[in-house]
Amino acid sequence: MRRLGRFILALLRELGDESAYQRHLAAHGRAHSGAEWRRFSEERQRARYAHAKCC
Amino acid sequence: MKLLAHLFWAAVAVTAAFCLGGIALNRGEHINSIWLVLAAACSYATGYRFYSRFLAARVLALDDRRATPAERLRDGQDFEPTNKWILFGHHFAAIAGPGPLVGPVLAAQFGYLPGTLWIVIGAVLGGAAQDFVILFASMRRDGKSLGQMAREEIGKVAGFCALITVLLIMIIMLAVMALVVVNALKGSPWGAFTIAATIPIAVFMGLYLRYWRPAKVLECSAIGVVLVMAAIFAGRSVAQSAALAPVFTLGAMALAIAIIVYGFLASALPVWLLLAPRGYLSTFVKLGVILMLGVGILFVRPELQLPALTRFVDGTGPIFAGKIFPFCFITIACGSISGFHALIASGTTPKMIAKEGHARPIGYGSMALESFVAIMAMIAACVLQPGVYFAVNSPAATVGAAPAAAVATITSWGFPVTVAEMTNLARDVGEQTLFYRTGGAPSLALGMAHIFARGGGGRAVIGFWYHFAIMFEALFILTILDTGTRVGRFMLQDFLGHAWKPLGRTSWMPGVVATSAAIVGAWGYFLIQGVRDPLGGINSLWPLYGTANQLLAAIALSVATTILLKMHGAKYLWVTCAPLAWLVTVTFTAAWQKIFSPVPAIGFLAQADRLEASLRAGTAADVAATQTLIFNARLDAVLCGIFLVLVATILLDSMRVWIGILRGTRSARVCEAPFVLSQLRAEEL
Repeated sequence: MRRLGRFILALLRELGDESAYQRHLAAHGRAHSGAEWRRFSEERQRARYAHAKCC
Repeated sequence: MKLLAHLFWAAVAVTAAFCLGGIALNRGEHINSIWLVLAAACSYATGYRFYSRFLAARVLALDDRRATPAERLRDGQDFEPTNKWILFGHHFAAIAGPGPLVGPVLAAQFGYLPGTLWIVIGAVLGGAAQDFVILFASMRRDGKSLGQMAREEIGKVAGFCALITVLLIMIIMLAVMALVVVNALKGSPWGAFTIAATIPIAVFMGLYLRYWRPAKVLECSAIGVVLVMAAIFAGRSVAQSAALAPVFTLGAMALAIAIIVYGFLASALPVWLLLAPRGYLSTFVKLGVILMLGVGILFVRPELQLPALTRFVDGTGPIFAGKIFPFCFITIACGSISGFHALIASGTTPKMIAKEGHARPIGYGSMALESFVAIMAMIAACVLQPGVYFAVNSPAATVGAAPAAAVATITSWGFPVTVAEMTNLARDVGEQTLFYRTGGAPSLALGMAHIFARGGGGRAVIGFWYHFAIMFEALFILTILDTGTRVGRFMLQDFLGHAWKPLGRTSWMPGVVATSAAIVGAWGYFLIQGVRDPLGGINSLWPLYGTANQLLAAIALSVATTILLKMHGAKYLWVTCAPLAWLVTVTFTAAWQKIFSPVPAIGFLAQADRLEASLRAGTAADVAATQTLIFNARLDAVLCGIFLVLVATILLDSMRVWIGILRGTRSARVCEAPFVLSQLRAEEL
């Protein structure tokens, strides 16, 4: 059950871009801040909303 | 151990065959939904275990030693090796749209059997194989899109046609999805209030994430879900309020205009303010509700009330006209085989696959799961009494403009229903009426509400569950509308930028406004056309959308066939050629009938001729409206013709390449990225 819980949380964090943000911070050696999140999410959303969603 | 495994898989395969046989041969008595669940689940398991394994090992020759683009081009954002089950969920969330929910509900007019068989067989042999092959192809080509692969593997003409086809399909898709929402919310203050409330909730979430609690997406989404649930509860009070109910009781045209304005604003406003928070909310709600529906069906195990086959297999259906072949196969696209999936399978997912072997569960497995969602939608539609199902889904022009006339017509078809029954049901779910609620969403919501309410609470909570289901459907249809409008704008700007550079700049406001207006205007036109259509709009727009979506699948399968031909010669051509041949036959027949059928309910040109005759005879009630209907019918015929020409062009271009490869006059070189040995460690997977 604990493994299932961990998996669900990891999936939700991936769907919610929280994991991607952590990877972004680690990859660029930066610390979390409001400005950093805005920079990250703008870039990510720009890429995401260049593709259509499935019907 | 091996013997046990063989015995287990033999038992699964036999159960699949037994259950499919059971639902196919059963006549005259109600069957339990668990038959459909078992037939589908065991078929998917068998298909996954044997067919996808064959595809992975023999046809695609997946190689875990080969570094994927996620490893080679790793940038921590787009390209990132991701755990396969997390990516499975990510990919499933991306491909699962309203299509597999609405399509089966509409196709249930033929009975549960044709749609169920098409969903299961189409997914196992066609849709899942298509998604898997395209995902593999994109992964081997550094995550290239379908259009890029069409250009590289087939030629420039195919690439250009694919691009135009995608743009046109998007316009029709957005119009038909908007029409589903309009038909679900018209005359429903509870529903309209709930959906309207999601807009300020999304804006609040956007501000929360950007300024108050940056990066706390899960926390913010949890607040969003609570607020949406509160909006559903508040909706009941709004519907009962003498002051507020009239404000939120909107007609179809008013709703259509509101949705068009919303689409325009969502396309032009910053993404973080509306689209992104709405997208998060929609994804979480979607996954949660699909899970709830699955659990609900297993827990309640309802009996199907619709027969295996209805009298409408003869093509005289009230929801959409046309026989099982070809119309069942274009009505259900997502859920069995969907061209749109090829766009997703060649988008974000191939850039995140850690090992080649993961493409099998992600590509094939996700599609099988989506197909299962379509089966659940079919069950939800079929648990309704047939009379209720047809009363909700039939347009007034077909069954009669007054409720008494409508129930008389539907009862005469052999599906008894009374006005009192419909009135009580409407009262239970907090609606003024449930007659003429075409589009599939209200009947799906009714079916879901029945299942959820039987799980606990009974009639006392059916109204809440009905509006919960309507909110769920409308929420993620609107997410598709706003994203689609924005993507359409980008595509148009890309085109127009070649003619005049400033129009191509996505930061130039006049260009943004003009292209947003053009895209919204295009799908808005078809939406208004659907609203004005006396047959409810779904009859003309859904087949057009289904044909377009399946033609896109034909393009994807042409690309896949070209790639397999280059890899193996003619040996495994049947893997993609068989579904391609089927789809081409189905879609070309459907498109031909939609244009040229002499039956006015089916053929656009016959419909225009009949309306023109009524004008000439002076029997048309409204001359201007009739002239508009004539123009619209001809426009639909032209659009259908354009789809046919585009796909025929791609097919001919592909066949030219295939013949060249088979004859040896053309290079069979595949455009894959070179082999690089994977260095990924086990703990990174």
